[in-house]
Amino acid sequence: MRRVAVTGLGAVAPGGNDPEALFATLAAGRSAVRRLPDAIAARLKSPIGACVELETDAQFPAPRLRQLDRVSQLALVAARQAVASAVLELDPEARSRVGVFLGSGMGGAGATDEGYAAFYGARSDRIKPFTVLMAMTSAPASWIGLEHGFGGANLTYSCACSSAAVAIGEAWLRIRSGAADVALAGGAEAPLVPGTMKAWEALQAVASADADDPAASCKPFAADRCGLVLGEGAALVVLEEWEHARRRGAPIRGELLGYGLCTDTAHITRPTVEGQARAIALALGSAGVGAEEVGYVNAHGTGTRANDAVETAAIRRVFGSAAERLAVSSTKSMHGHLLGAAGAVELVATLLALRERTIPPTANLRVPDPECDLDYVPNAARRLPDVDVAISNSFAFGGTNAVLVCRRGSA
Amino acid sequence: MTTTVFEDLREILMKDYELPGERLTRETPLEEIDLDSLAAMEILFSLEERYHVSIEDTDPTPFATLGEIADYVDRLVARSGAS
Repeated sequence: MRRVAVTGLGAVAPGGNDPEALFATLAAGRSAVRRLPDAIAARLKSPIGACVELETDAQFPAPRLRQLDRVSQLALVAARQAVASAVLELDPEARSRVGVFLGSGMGGAGATDEGYAAFYGARSDRIKPFTVLMAMTSAPASWIGLEHGFGGANLTYSCACSSAAVAIGEAWLRIRSGAADVALAGGAEAPLVPGTMKAWEALQAVASADADDPAASCKPFAADRCGLVLGEGAALVVLEEWEHARRRGAPIRGELLGYGLCTDTAHITRPTVEGQARAIALALGSAGVGAEEVGYVNAHGTGTRANDAVETAAIRRVFGSAAERLAVSSTKSMHGHLLGAAGAVELVATLLALRERTIPPTANLRVPDPECDLDYVPNAARRLPDVDVAISNSFAFGGTNAVLVCRRGSA
Repeated sequence: MTTTVFEDLREILMKDYELPGERLTRETPLEEIDLDSLAAMEILFSLEERYHVSIEDTDPTPFATLGEIADYVDRLVARSGAS
């Protein structure tokens, strides 16, 4: 089997407009969750979210901008970073074989929202002609392919909160098997629009705003956790066959060692210990990594009642006594839940944690929950000099359990 | 009348599409300023709103130049004024 290097990183996320800035925020334990502007929050009971603080308008010529939903704007910015970070300078023929594998749960939610507001709300018959092209879930991946001339497989994976992890894992499988040499893989999501936020609120899965400090609203693994906080953003990594990367002297930012995927068949939202544990075990098996080799788990850790207790039990089931010395943290406590982009942002955070030998904390963990009894690195980052291997968990509505295993790089 | 519609069209293209005014004459081919058929439709919608007219059910003939878009809206305005 061929090995897969991670040679480029890109991320625009709450807390940082590039991977380094994002990681600095996470390592400082700072939350990017905020009260949302009134234009979004006016009719929400829980007016909080995690926004990307980037003027994306400045990144595109005006005619192009008019055709891009925010989700595609964020994806394009993150993709440019990843390509630059990998120093990926390919001739047109080589570019025509590069694949794009992108996860997105809701696609161009803003374009859909705006179209409905015009048609149903304002009763207008003039719907923006670009609406379909902006709203389609595959738009971000398509625009990345167009901008860079990447003409290999261009695939969008939509499996809710596991979308990005699945996109990265499926790209890994292609490279490992020899079907591709280079791929750009990750996820993008831009759900902070009124109609979509309201629908999430109706699902009863969203945290209420913390009365004292909105930034502290997402409390994974804490006894007083009350739900997830939605975030927007995009992250992509360049995956490359190991020898291909070495031959061209590419920076090795990590190695993607394994990928585990399975599906719960019990309930559309309720997670199971069996399913999550099976995905972790499959991932470790595919990586050929023993439980004792893993030092850090970037948890799915949504902050919902159901997930965090189940995930704790699943980690215990797979790791056994090795669970006692694992560092586990949920960076969602700070950058929010990026849904179909979550797995990508969290893989970037995980690779940088390994590089920096610094585990970002689980923020807002003040009140312990007896059901959540692992070491969650509460509230402050921790130096862990000897950790080389980590896993990143993504578990989704619809039952998709996806886990990625990675090893520390040299750049 | 034609001048007014055309001037509005130029204004939209300069503002929303950041096109330099000197490139925008009645004879400018849409292709030359990278306006595809969807972009032309979007611009037509903006003009419709300004002039309170609506595109007829039948698709307009594909436009080749900026002048043809202006003339099309002009005809709609004239017809709505006549009725």
